[in-house]
Amino acid sequence: MLPPPAPDDGESAFRARYRDRLSADEAVRTTHNLNCWYQQNCCFHVLVRDGQVVREEQVGDYPQTDESLPDFNPRGCQKGCGYSALMYSEARLRSPLKRKGPRGSGEWEEISWEQACGEIAEQLIDILVTDGPGRLVLDPGGNIVSQLAWMSITRLWDRLDGLYLDINCELGDDQQGAAITYGEPSGERSGDDYFHSDLVFIWGGNPAYTQIPNFHFLTEARYNGTTIVAISPDVNASAIHADLHVPVKPGGDAALALGMCKVMIEEEIFDAELVREQTDLPLLVVEETGKLFRESTLDGGSEQVFYRWDEQRDRLEEVDRFSLKLRGQVPALRGSFEVKTDDHGTLTLKPAFELLAERLERWPLEDVSDACGVAPETIRRLARMMAGAKAATNTCTSGLSKYFHGDLLMRAQILAFVLGGHLGSKGAGYVSSHFLLADGVDDGLKALEGYKENMWRLGFTYGWEYHWERMRGMSHREATYHYLHNVYAPSRAMVNSTLFWNLHGGLDQISKRTAEWGEELPRPIDEYLDEALEKRWQVLDPAPDDPPRALLVWMGNPLRRIRSSHKLLEVLWPKLELVVVTDLRMSSTAMHADYVLPVAGAYEKTTTMAMNTGPIAPFLHTTVQAVDPVGDSRDEWAIACLLAKALQDRARERGIVNYIGRRGQKRSLDDIYDDITEGGRLGDDDGEKLSSRMVNRSTNVGNVSWSELKRKGYQRFTSLGNYAANFGNSTWIRKGETISPHRWHRERKDPWATLTGRVQFYVDHDWYLEFGEELPVHKDPPRSGGDLPITLTGGHTRWSIHATWRSDPTMLRLQRGEPSLWMSIPDALDRGIRDGDKVEVSNAIGSFITRARPAACVRPGQAVMYHGWEDYQFEGGVGYRNVLASPLKPLELVGDHPWLKPMVGIRQPGQSDRDTRVEIRSLEPPPVPEEPGPEEPASEGSAP
Amino acid sequence: MTEQLAQVIDLNKCIGCQTCTVACKRLWTDAQQTAHHWWNIVNTMPGRGTPRGWEEMGGGYVDGELSLGALPTAEQFGEAWDFDFEGARAAASGGPHLAPLDGRPAWGPNWDEDQGGGVYPNAWYFYLPRLCNHCSKPACVEACPAKAIGEQPDGLVVIDEDKCIGNQLCAMACPYKRIYFAEAPRQSRKCIGCFPRVERGVAPACVRQCPGRVRHFGWLDDPDSQVHRLVKVWKVALPLHPEFGTDPQVFYVPPMGPERLDAGGVPDPDSDRINPGYLRSLFGDGVEEALELLRSERRRRMQGEESELMDLLISRRWSDMLGGFDRAPV
Repeated sequence: MLPPPAPDDGESAFRARYRDRLSADEAVRTTHNLNCWYQQNCCFHVLVRDGQVVREEQVGDYPQTDESLPDFNPRGCQKGCGYSALMYSEARLRSPLKRKGPRGSGEWEEISWEQACGEIAEQLIDILVTDGPGRLVLDPGGNIVSQLAWMSITRLWDRLDGLYLDINCELGDDQQGAAITYGEPSGERSGDDYFHSDLVFIWGGNPAYTQIPNFHFLTEARYNGTTIVAISPDVNASAIHADLHVPVKPGGDAALALGMCKVMIEEEIFDAELVREQTDLPLLVVEETGKLFRESTLDGGSEQVFYRWDEQRDRLEEVDRFSLKLRGQVPALRGSFEVKTDDHGTLTLKPAFELLAERLERWPLEDVSDACGVAPETIRRLARMMAGAKAATNTCTSGLSKYFHGDLLMRAQILAFVLGGHLGSKGAGYVSSHFLLADGVDDGLKALEGYKENMWRLGFTYGWEYHWERMRGMSHREATYHYLHNVYAPSRAMVNSTLFWNLHGGLDQISKRTAEWGEELPRPIDEYLDEALEKRWQVLDPAPDDPPRALLVWMGNPLRRIRSSHKLLEVLWPKLELVVVTDLRMSSTAMHADYVLPVAGAYEKTTTMAMNTGPIAPFLHTTVQAVDPVGDSRDEWAIACLLAKALQDRARERGIVNYIGRRGQKRSLDDIYDDITEGGRLGDDDGEKLSSRMVNRSTNVGNVSWSELKRKGYQRFTSLGNYAANFGNSTWIRKGETISPHRWHRERKDPWATLTGRVQFYVDHDWYLEFGEELPVHKDPPRSGGDLPITLTGGHTRWSIHATWRSDPTMLRLQRGEPSLWMSIPDALDRGIRDGDKVEVSNAIGSFITRARPAACVRPGQAVMYHGWEDYQFEGGVGYRNVLASPLKPLELVGDHPWLKPMVGIRQPGQSDRDTRVEIRSLEPPPVPEEPGPEEPASEGSAP
Repeated sequence: MTEQLAQVIDLNKCIGCQTCTVACKRLWTDAQQTAHHWWNIVNTMPGRGTPRGWEEMGGGYVDGELSLGALPTAEQFGEAWDFDFEGARAAASGGPHLAPLDGRPAWGPNWDEDQGGGVYPNAWYFYLPRLCNHCSKPACVEACPAKAIGEQPDGLVVIDEDKCIGNQLCAMACPYKRIYFAEAPRQSRKCIGCFPRVERGVAPACVRQCPGRVRHFGWLDDPDSQVHRLVKVWKVALPLHPEFGTDPQVFYVPPMGPERLDAGGVPDPDSDRINPGYLRSLFGDGVEEALELLRSERRRRMQGEESELMDLLISRRWSDMLGGFDRAPV
């Protein structure tokens, strides 16, 4: 504790008053169990006085990895430092609410937990006994990331056998390009590993907003001699910290990356050795069909044996699926080879690299420049920087997967890094998504009913393949991953939320207009959708004709989150007999619910993170209870127990013992509470046990005990452990060393989790060939929402974690109090729009009203609506999501390629918004002539 | 030797996150009567700042004489807007949406965030954290007829509220316009340098809670302190508006911006988007030399050579930035 304050000097009482503000009864180490994603958790001291949290303070005692590197301290952000204000703010929900008027009327009555859970249970039972659990839908929202939030509802929902949405691709966090190219998109470095990079690209994101506690590693690397390049249409808060900011057309990133590739190939400065060893680019392709040349084509053998042309021996060589070792081979990258086959005569084969190089050579750099808006000279310079750097990397972001062609943008970026020689070493390589979880979460999953049922059902069907692959030399890690690929869709354990909202919620009325927005589709969109659903490539439940009847939103906010969510209110909501929302505060979705259940917040319960921990700040944090829950809010486990108890009691009263589950199995209802509470061993107040069990069973957080972890507040990860979500990192985690992903591929020659075992740039699925996307390619973005002049992009803001803090007065007072639209000065002048003017933003699918904010940092033709505003912060309660047309991209439906199948959170259809087109018009009276235009500081604009 | 506490704020590291601002608010000004006080605030530069147009309001010393400038109005500082959460629950069915009550605000403490200057694509801006400069020649002290403001032996300038008579001459005299006013009781308030923390060996909240590791703190005349090395030895940390004549004790490392693009959209490696004339207007004539030194020392690191200056600015061990005031705050 602090030493006692200096004695009062008698000068004045005011000193004593200020000194007194520092005093606290207790300081508890804890963190905010929210979905901060790349930003990651931060350990705070929470100061408690008279049973109330008064403020928080960053602990700042994280260890230094090595004295040559900056440490991770202090870790925090303005939101974390202001959480105690949010905690007690007026926005906070304090007791269960029941709707009085029509949905959305804002008329509520406060009711008891017993009444709320009793009434909810009655309705759930009505549905269960008539239609079964396949009509109950759970939306697990972004803030489900703590073990308490996640495991509580997962245990209850699994026991009920309800539908569980997989929302990651809908969010646009799916990193589709990396999921295709690397196979497993998880792969991130620790923040201090930037000190091993001499070139860092901030490309497709804005970490100065989204990674506040990590950004110092970049500014410090810059002082250490690292060159920082920012590529973004707008001059954002990250770009101003770069040495080079490259303004790119929105959606032009693939063209820029491919332009860099073109230069590296033409100037022969690419890393041929890396390409030969790690990628599928030397693999031979049948020129006529575009298909990879397989053993099945050669002599009727395997579909999964591929070939290269060995220049050393001048002959065809089979590709070793189980190791990347070249064993003296020098696979040809260029050329054309004739090969005789048993059944197909003599075929002309070319390495995929040859096809790529031919394409790029045919594409004049001036045309590349037109496509991306970057001067040819700059493209050349970037290519030479990429090829010349010792270790180049990028900052992880989820921005690019929110473009319609986000997969292509990312595939092209990865290609540029690989050609530049950057992959899987210290400070080098393209990073995409980041997961590093305590592997004890797996035990919780394995205990679930649904898991066990699926093991019986699918374990035999697909398990043999695991054993077969193991016998042939595949690692446990990769074979496990492949097994999970195979069982994800057939298990129907999760439902793709994009398809769910589209086909049950009416979004398809908008999203199927892809071709209308100028995107060339070889066939009508319905053909692709019908084929994918018919072949069950992706999971949609319930069947399109069986309407969902109840929606439980758990720590999420789908009406705020989903693009064109206004359709859901029109189409889905009338089908729903019951909408229940659990949250900390009144959200856009809660406003349209029947029941709202208040959840205890971060300092009011004890748990740890089950999800969304990652290597960038490689620590597992704990949330520790410091005070009683605010109002009558309850922690998630207590809520799950109350619901289960109500279900059990009502079932017994009504004499209902069993109902039929989704797979035709019998599920009991009259013991559901006894069951999930393990006969009382896990009582309503024992939510903490979910976390202590998880930590005690984890193998990758050292030997720390739960009580020790709580006391300390965090623990550094010690290995990837045994959880599949971590496998993509493919690297060692060692004390005293930074984390650099993909080292196992480089150093141990472990194959990648793709069809060919290589970093996969060539996808020969029929649909990819039909769309001309077998290789990374640039396509002009669609004009989603109509052929209008302004591209409306977006991005996460520094001011909120999704919608949390979006309506917080402290944060709003540091903004403009309400949503505003960033637009360029020329576009504002053209439209007579001044700073602060009320404007209408509209397109073919909707409109909303906001205030304009013209700024020099915005690219002409672009406007930016930052993320997370609640609908009720806009006039008429109409939020900005309703101009986001989010067209479906057919290739995201593909699910039959051996390694291109949906998995948890990846390779499923998703939503996009960055290609949205709008028009903006002023709603103000015409300006009086003498008023100035948008503010521009005098004298600073011109060149020195 | 007079002891003087000082801060060095590195504008190459500041990301404008306002964590310092919120840390200060939660600790000192979260009461209703000080809700509109932002003793610490980060302004986007160029911009009109907090209060709006503060750089043109006057104050400080002109030819060695105390000069009373304008008294910033509450509207220029920005009010602490209130919100009607209850009412906004019916926003979807004709109710009011959640927005500042009492009409449309014209200004706020961070109103021109990220708007900056220049012309796209050469837009540029940087963040300037601003707080009381704890000047060695504080105009506010001289202006106060009640002798309510004084300089502590450690150099921190503090208002004794109990002596304050609320005539706001201090706010007129302060050229940085960092003095706020509370209506009840009618008193001037400003940054107290976190003296209750400092006297117990804890760095100020804005320093210790800065996740960007932007702020160095310590004794200016201690030859081993980072602030001394940066201000006195390397001379890369400069006072803001030295011409105001108050001898401020908060120093800034000037920002290095991205390259400027030419008319053809090609960046010029030997240029900087940030207008040097503008930086001179903020930090005086030493700024170009400081920037040249920063660039040349950075080039040394690029070539693998040692640089004490870069090491200082990186400060691999965060606690080293706290200048010995590294006790935990609890």
